[in-house]
Formats: sequence, C-alpha cells, structure tokens
Amino acid sequence: MSHGHDSHELPHSHQKQYIILGVVLSIVTFIELGIPLIKGVPELWTAAKEVWAPLLVVLSIFKFGAVVGDFMHLRTDLTLYKILFVSPLFLAMFSFFAIGSLSIVHFHPFGKGYAITAQDLADGYVPPATGATAEPPLADDKFEAAFADAQKTSFAKGKETFTASCASCHRADGGGMPGLGVNLSDDCYKHGGKIAALYTTIAKGVSGTAMPAWQNSMDSEKMRQVAYYVRSLKGTNVAGGKECEGPKE
Amino acid sequence: MSAHADTLTHDSHEAHGHGALSENNFLGLPNIKLAMWAFLGSECMFFGSLIGTYFFYHGNSLSGPLPKDVFSIGITSISTFLLLMSSVTMALGVDAMRQQKPMKARTFILLTAALGACFVGFQVVEFHEFYTEKHLVFAGPNASLFGSTFYTMTGFHGTHVTVGVIWLLIMSVLITKKKLVPGKEAVNVEVMGLYWHFVDIVWIVIFTFVYLLEFLK
Ligand code: HEC
Repeated sequence: MSHGHDSHELPHSHQKQYIILGVVLSIVTFIELGIPLIKGVPELWTAAKEVWAPLLVVLSIFKFGAVVGDFMHLRTDLTLYKILFVSPLFLAMFSFFAIGSLSIVHFHPFGKGYAITAQDLADGYVPPATGATAEPPLADDKFEAAFADAQKTSFAKGKETFTASCASCHRADGGGMPGLGVNLSDDCYKHGGKIAALYTTIAKGVSGTAMPAWQNSMDSEKMRQVAYYVRSLKGTNVAGGKECEGPKE
Repeated sequence: MSAHADTLTHDSHEAHGHGALSENNFLGLPNIKLAMWAFLGSECMFFGSLIGTYFFYHGNSLSGPLPKDVFSIGITSISTFLLLMSSVTMALGVDAMRQQKPMKARTFILLTAALGACFVGFQVVEFHEFYTEKHLVFAGPNASLFGSTFYTMTGFHGTHVTVGVIWLLIMSVLITKKKLVPGKEAVNVEVMGLYWHFVDIVWIVIFTFVYLLEFLK
C-alpha cells in the first residue's frame, strides 16, 4: 500500500467549504450581536422574552459544532479522536452542573445571593425579613435605577453601619478590643465565618456576652449589608488585632 | 519523505496501512495528533472549570464594579471576529499544506498569527481599561469575585492565544527554512490547527455566555 505524491494523489481541497463556513459563522455572530440590541425595541423584546437567551445558546452551540466538526474535521475523523475529545467535554459539563447545584446552597445564603438581579426584583423577590416588614417590589420603570444605586451604595452602607454600631467593640478596622469585641479580621470564628452564619450571629447576638442581638434595632437589609462587610474583613489580619478565638475557617 | 502525504488527511482510513512510519504508533496514527486530541480533551475540563467558577460566583461580588459596568460590546465583538477569521485562515493554511503548497500555507499561517496577535492586543487594552478606569481588581483587599474569576478565565484564554501565536510564528520560520516540508510532516501544521481552533471555540463559549448573556439581563 504505497502511495506516490503525484498531484492526482493529493487529498481533495476544502478551501471553498472553509470560506463558505467562515461566511456562515460571521453571519451567525452578527445575529448573536443583534440579539441584545432587541432590548431597545420593547414590543419585540417582550413578544418573545423567553426565546432570546436560549436562542443565543443554540447559536453558540452551532458555532462550536461547526468549528469542531468541520475546521477540526472531527465529524469525519476517527472515532478514537471523537471519544478523546467528547467524553471530557461531557465530563466537564457534568461537573459544571454538579457544582452549580451545590453552589445554590453555599453561595446563596439568602436564597438569591447578595447581588439580587433586576429580574429578581421585577419578579417580586423580597429579601427574607427577620421581624422587619419587607417593602413591596418597585415598579418596573423605577427598578433599573434603584438597582444600580443599591449595588453602589449597599457595601458602603455596610461599612457605615459597622463604623456606627460595631466599631465601639470590634474596633474601626475589625481588629477587636480586649475585653470587648473579638477580632473579625482574622480567619477564626466562634460562631461561623460563612455569610449565613455571620448574619445569624449579628441578628441574634451571642447571649451571655456583650454581643447584642441586632435584629431588635436593625432591619434585615441593614444586617445583610453589615454581614457582607464583616465577611469582607476576613483574612485582612489588621495590625494589633486580638488573638485568634474559635476554630479557623 | 513526502511519499506518505496521505497520513495527514482527515480521511484517515487511508492512513491505516502505515504503521511502519516511525512517527506513527501501533494504531497507525500519528502520535502527535492523538496526543493533541487527548490534550484538548483535558483542556475542555480546564476551561470548563474556569468558566464554571466564573458562573458560580456570578452575582456574588461584595463590591463593584459588576460585569454590566465594565463590559463594552464593541471591542469584544471586534476581537470575536478577529478570532473567527483566524480560524478560517488557519483551516486554509492546513489545507494548503496538504495540497503541498508550503508558501501558500505560510501566508495563511502568518495571517492567522497576525489576527491572533490583534486579539491579544485588544485583550491587553481591555484589561488595562478595566483595571485602571473601571477599578476592576484581580486580587487583594479591593478584589471582587467578579474581578478574580473574570481575569483568571479570560487571562488563561489570552495566554493560550499567545502560545498559539508563538507556535504559528515558529512554524512559519520552519517552513521558510524548509525544515518543515509538506508530506508526512504536514501533520505538525494540522495539529497546530487543532490547537488554534480549540482556542477559538473556547472564545465562542466565553463570548456568548459571559458577554452576550450579560447584556440580555
Ligand atoms: C458591646 C460590644 C459589641 C458590639 C457593639 C458589637 N459586638 Fe460583635 N461581638 C462582641 C463580643 C464580645 C463578641 C464575642 C462573642 C463570643 O465570645 O462568643 C462578638 C462577636 C461577634 C461576631 C462573631 C465572631 C465569631 O468569632 O464568630 C460577629 C460576626 C460580630 N460580633 C459582629 C458584630 C457586628 C456586625 C456588630 C455591629 C452591628 C457588632 N458585632 C457589635 C461584642 C460586640
């Protein structure tokens, strides 16, 4: 089975197909780019609200398949190569969704996480209230501005609350004070350092110690903000902070 | 040497009779190509976890800026097109090599490298703008989950493109010096093409899921 290298033995050229495929992929990309622009046409946008995001996903899967199948020739190449490439691809997607389902438990302590999206609020999502009455969801038109504003200010507000209510015991930088508040800038927590645990400690206080239950004087939003601020202090290990108390996290 | 031009065609069933070629393994396949597919399989998991991490932390940043504040659709679209076109030129380069036209192949390879370099250039500009003007920090006390995961994910992709550009340039030099000739050795160009196309598909995923879907929200 020996082959010469005469021109008639050369493999068939795919030049034309490649160029056509390039044009097709460009058109698909243009369509993809057009989809976010549809938002500017509210009638069209709302007419098929559920369609746009899945459409984007389908188009990108098409592009993915075209490049792998035709540019990389996997469609017509050996099964061995297909197995080598496609099985890890599925494994990757599987672990993606597996970790994704875990993350809902760990990273969304308040059901929806800190950065509540515009969509959530529009859908009527209300942060869980601890005692305080929750406000009704904002009207759609006020919503975008309020959301952007909230993102910018809430972290600053958390810091503000900390300075006003907590610094007297925990020190302005969270380093803690002898005989008063513990160090919040290390990695040690007596009552848990995860955001949900911090929130609970702040809300319920620690009975038998100086740490007050703040749910009596703060609403849930305020406690959320300060909880995230406290979480951000973790590991900053400010100079002159109190020694580690409680298990390391 | 060039007597075995067919080993690198994608109609690989023709290649099976060539187990005697030193570069081919016992399956009669070019080792280098087999290795590249295995490597790309592992790269799927690598980028899968980077993109996954980005999404699991998405919306959990304690402080801004948020994706919507920093992304600009214009610059990203341009780099997306550059990379897409580079996939076309890469495919044409591989094809020319298979057609035993090394100089034509070299032209396309250089074109691919140029497009790839532009992509990296745009990314550098983007990162610089994000960092200095939008205050999106990668690490340290002012970092956010968005910043860290975004820079890690897109940074690794950019690194892959950079490695690809260097590889393309080395190959074009080898072709110029006739150290790489069509025929059996053209499989080296084909394998480089596989890597390059893979880098393109990673970007297809990032572009849609990270950038475009953000604008739908
Ligand atoms: C009157 C003093 C005082 C004030 C004011 C105070 N704390 Fe505390 N805080 C303490 C003490 C004391 C402890 C340690 C409780 C213990 O020993 O279990 C503590 C513990 C904590 C813990 C748990 C740390 C761990 O190791 O698990 C958190 C979180 C915390 N405080 C947050 C706050 C926040 C937020 C505020 C302001 C809203 C605040 N504290 C205000 C005294 C105070």
